[in-house]
Amino acid sequence: MATERYSFSLTTFSPSGKLVQIEYALAAVAAGASSVGILASNGVVIATENKPKSTLYEEGTIHRVEMVAEHIGMVYSGMGPDYRLLVRNARKLAQNYFLTYKEPIPVVQLVQRVANLMQEYTQSGGVRPFGVSLLICGWDHQEERPYLFQCDPSGSYFAWKATAMGKNAVNGKTFLEKRYSDDLELDDAIYNAIKTLKESFEGKMTANHIEVGICDKTGFKRLDTATINDHLANI
Amino acid sequence: MSILAYNGGCVVAMRGKDCVAIATDHRFGVQAQTIDTDFEKVHQVAPKMFLGLVGLQTDILTVRERLAFRKKLYEIRENREMTPKVFSSMLSNFLYERRFGPYFIEPVIAGLDPKTSEPFICNMDLIGCPNVPDDFVVAGTCGEQLYGMCETLWKPDLEPDQLFEVISQSMINAFDRDAISGWGASVYIIEKDKITVKKLKTRMD
Amino acid sequence: MQAELARELPPAGFNFENCKRNEALINGGFLAPKTVKTGTTIAGIIFKDGVILGADTRATEGPIVSDKNCSKIHYLAPNMYCCGAGTAADTEMTTDLVSSQLALHRLNTGREVPVVCATTLLKQKLFRYQGNISAALVLGGVDLTGPTIYSIAPHGSVDKLPYTSMGSGSLAAMSVFESRYKPDMTEEEAKKLVRDAIAGGVFNDLGSGSNIDLCVIRKNKTVDYLRNYEIANRKGERTLDYSFLKGTTIVTGTKTFNLDITETVIPMEVA
Repeated sequence: MATERYSFSLTTFSPSGKLVQIEYALAAVAAGASSVGILASNGVVIATENKPKSTLYEEGTIHRVEMVAEHIGMVYSGMGPDYRLLVRNARKLAQNYFLTYKEPIPVVQLVQRVANLMQEYTQSGGVRPFGVSLLICGWDHQEERPYLFQCDPSGSYFAWKATAMGKNAVNGKTFLEKRYSDDLELDDAIYNAIKTLKESFEGKMTANHIEVGICDKTGFKRLDTATINDHLANI
Repeated sequence: MSILAYNGGCVVAMRGKDCVAIATDHRFGVQAQTIDTDFEKVHQVAPKMFLGLVGLQTDILTVRERLAFRKKLYEIRENREMTPKVFSSMLSNFLYERRFGPYFIEPVIAGLDPKTSEPFICNMDLIGCPNVPDDFVVAGTCGEQLYGMCETLWKPDLEPDQLFEVISQSMINAFDRDAISGWGASVYIIEKDKITVKKLKTRMD
Repeated sequence: MQAELARELPPAGFNFENCKRNEALINGGFLAPKTVKTGTTIAGIIFKDGVILGADTRATEGPIVSDKNCSKIHYLAPNMYCCGAGTAADTEMTTDLVSSQLALHRLNTGREVPVVCATTLLKQKLFRYQGNISAALVLGGVDLTGPTIYSIAPHGSVDKLPYTSMGSGSLAAMSVFESRYKPDMTEEEAKKLVRDAIAGGVFNDLGSGSNIDLCVIRKNKTVDYLRNYEIANRKGERTLDYSFLKGTTIVTGTKTFNLDITETVIPMEVA
């Protein structure tokens, strides 16, 4: 393939103006487990598949939905190990901001800083881009509203009302476009998020095979299996 | 002689009802020699926030510039105005960074929150230990006299007019007993809808 | 790795750029300025259902009281609080920093942080600075192992005790504990004892004064932060008024800046 000639260094553009390593990173994301995020009027929800590859896995020990600060949480599609590094960094950035200004970091600020970090990995020597896309959700205490952001390996970021990433992202987005309305309540959003995951879910969906995180003005939390079961019962 | 008293001067800030006032003297000296009598130690850092700095003049200028840099960067990055509370946390961190080689200054911050208009006053020691009381804060070479004056004259819920008289009389009578402060004074009264700056007639000796 | 130009925050850690100049000034005969000290009486005890921390509320700058109602019981984690004595900025910044480290640890492990972990972070930091960060701390908290009180000296030594006191008023507070402490006290008894210990400092030590703050952390993880539990020293009521007539102060010039600006935008003609 011709593009391979421009893959020896990720800091080299191909003649058509592409950085192919970043496109490969996006391919890694597209092959990853699906995750969705939906903004509601009084909060925001993020959800993802967490299906074990073997029945021998012990469930409920490794999490994909992580808390970054009291009022911010995130989830990913793509490579797990890369995600861990970003989570640790995001947490540190949030704490650093709080120590400096004695005010919780606004979601937009955290997203910008995480995106900056991801951008650096597209332009530095000896590294490769992150193989993950992030969904960062949180509550903005100044504007008193929730936010949902996506961060890509290239370092670009977007604010969404609702989106899907990973496997079946296209179908997921089409599904969400039909379902989304501006006056969704948090409970409806959770319902729709699970429903979107279910569209592309292979096999029977149980509470142990998905993870849901919600954030409203009281803060971010990961739902426990019992609560997820209650939501699954409604579907 | 303490290095903080090298150039002389004082600043005081008081909280009133929905308003704050901050006052400064006008002297700039080098020990006992008066150089300038039109030197203000209070700077407007935002429409409704003032920063008073007393101590070593060279450090006052450096700190003011460095703070302005950090504040502007914050405001550009976050696209919103910095509140006095955030400003004081930033200043406190800035000063504590130099815990083992401090700037010889004592800051006073007075302002209203840009959104809620909540009055805010704060002072710090030279390594950034914040003190946020609900009455008044003082700094400078006649700090002890100022404490005395403010303790007797200040009372809660002063209206802007009364607050002006209280802060002016506290300051004038305090620095009349200090050889290296005085030579005129300015008072800034910060209200929700306006800022009033008054120059005071004082003893010039 | 972050490019110097696009730094979000200044580099971490202390900055020593002024040290040489400051040394020269001090060698030139100028006195080094005083920093705010908390003087302080702080104390902590273990009782039947948890721990109680106590502190006075005076901050001093030499002989001057610079804050009559400062708060010396700092938040570390939901199950831990820490009283600080010594240089006020040091106690404030050290506890803030450790509180942040504990929050990170909590997020990264997904568990409640044990009290001994906070003790270790604090003592390692203080030892690294060889006493130059002058913070004397009384740390109290509740975890899986039950209620614990630690006292941490500025050089980084740690004592694990059922009752302890720190600061300039520690002798006064300790005398109260030594005569009246007994294990497994009820909450009311214990609160009274800590209150009396701090009051001992407030009334007998010049570096301590004003009010008494308490903080109760129970085994069931409930926390009562009793700020100004007792106003031990009230300011005298002023019976007459010192208000000045308007115009007492002679003003030579007034400028008013109106901030209530209403803007009318006239659209540009484009036709």
